Amino acid sequence: MTKLTTRDLTTIAIFGAIWGALEITLGSYLHVIFPPLTTPLVGTGTIMTGIGMIIALMGYLFVPKTGAVLMIGVVTAILKALSIGGVKLSPMLAIIIECLLAEAGLVLARKPSRWGFVLAGALAVLWTFFHKFFGSYVFLGRAITEVYLGMLKQGSQALGIDVSLALVIIAAFLLIRIAVGAVAGWLAWELGGAVRGRLAR
Amino acid sequence: MQMRREWTQAERQVLSVWGYLSFLVGAVAMAMLAPGSRVFVVLGLVVSFCVLFCTGSLRLLRHARFWLLIALALFLSPFFIGEKDVTLWGLRLSRQGFWAGLWMTGRALSIGLAFNGFARRVSVAELATLLEGVGLKGLGFALGVAFNALPIIQEAAGDAYTAMRLRGGFRRQRFVALKKLLVTIVASSLRRGEEIVDAAEARAFDPARAQGRLARPTRADLLLAFALLCCNLAILLPPY
Repeated sequence: MTKLTTRDLTTIAIFGAIWGALEITLGSYLHVIFPPLTTPLVGTGTIMTGIGMIIALMGYLFVPKTGAVLMIGVVTAILKALSIGGVKLSPMLAIIIECLLAEAGLVLARKPSRWGFVLAGALAVLWTFFHKFFGSYVFLGRAITEVYLGMLKQGSQALGIDVSLALVIIAAFLLIRIAVGAVAGWLAWELGGAVRGRLAR
Repeated sequence: MQMRREWTQAERQVLSVWGYLSFLVGAVAMAMLAPGSRVFVVLGLVVSFCVLFCTGSLRLLRHARFWLLIALALFLSPFFIGEKDVTLWGLRLSRQGFWAGLWMTGRALSIGLAFNGFARRVSVAELATLLEGVGLKGLGFALGVAFNALPIIQEAAGDAYTAMRLRGGFRRQRFVALKKLLVTIVASSLRRGEEIVDAAEARAFDPARAQGRLARPTRADLLLAFALLCCNLAILLPPY
């Protein structure tokens, strides 16, 4: 990991705190209002990851060093641990894994760029699809095939197509997440630039 | 009150951060590996540990949201998992789903309580030192700043929102208004962050220097880790 200065760490802390505050307030409410079973295609997790990626990638624009997004994620995860009620280990793990994937995207892009942000955002939000399997297996002990079949059933009902079109349903799940992540990356670049402009005034 | 304080101090001395970490890892592993009803043995062990070593961690059970999640797993499983083979009050339910839901509940309770126990006993500073030990240098400082930044962000968000509303900012083009709100919150939080940087640099803060020393594992930590390993192996043993 690249050496971080006091200014870098403070910036990371502020972006982590913003994401953490959103997770604690907005995330907690959305999870109660929209339980996973009522929103099969785009769940609260996907929306919150998208919002989180906007914040974390904006942070990367101010601290363009390897590991900055991961640090923002770790700060957010620890703040999430202090939020009220619920099982928090699963979202904490999800936040850290998503930040690792975003880091991978940024490493692939080499330097901060709009398309690098789009790639990082898409990779991070894509994890929400796999986290369903991972989380259900690790935390609830459900078999992967069981989760897969349940997902197909919910997806077919939401899309209004037959369960036998499994590939189409899975592709829809993945495409929606990639699109949400890409939009998050795009917005992060836009908003980061706007914040820079505001600070330069 | 005095006795309670002494007991709390004794708890601190017996196990270090390593002991609580091994408890968390061991409990999560056991909850994952436990087949069927054995998950309730794990739950029993976790509750016993929490009562003995993590005072106050069982307060999690007082939260309505926690029970809402548990109830969702328990009551929705018969509708969504397995073949529906039973009719109860006119509802088609699955017996397999009921049992799966019950084991899920046990798992969720075990992991939730183990994590809460860990979070209760291990301070944020200890956790930061632990993470700094694995290469995330400066995390302790970042966490401290993040905690102190929360009220700053709340204030910035409140001020910006009120100012925008008073100027009729959300009446039309709500998305543009939301973007402006976020930019304002981030920019004003970063400006306040500058003051923190100045204060830290004035105190000759150096992120490269280790901020705290991690405690060495005690004998009790090693004993607990060994006991948890044995429990994990026992959980995997086939039934009689």
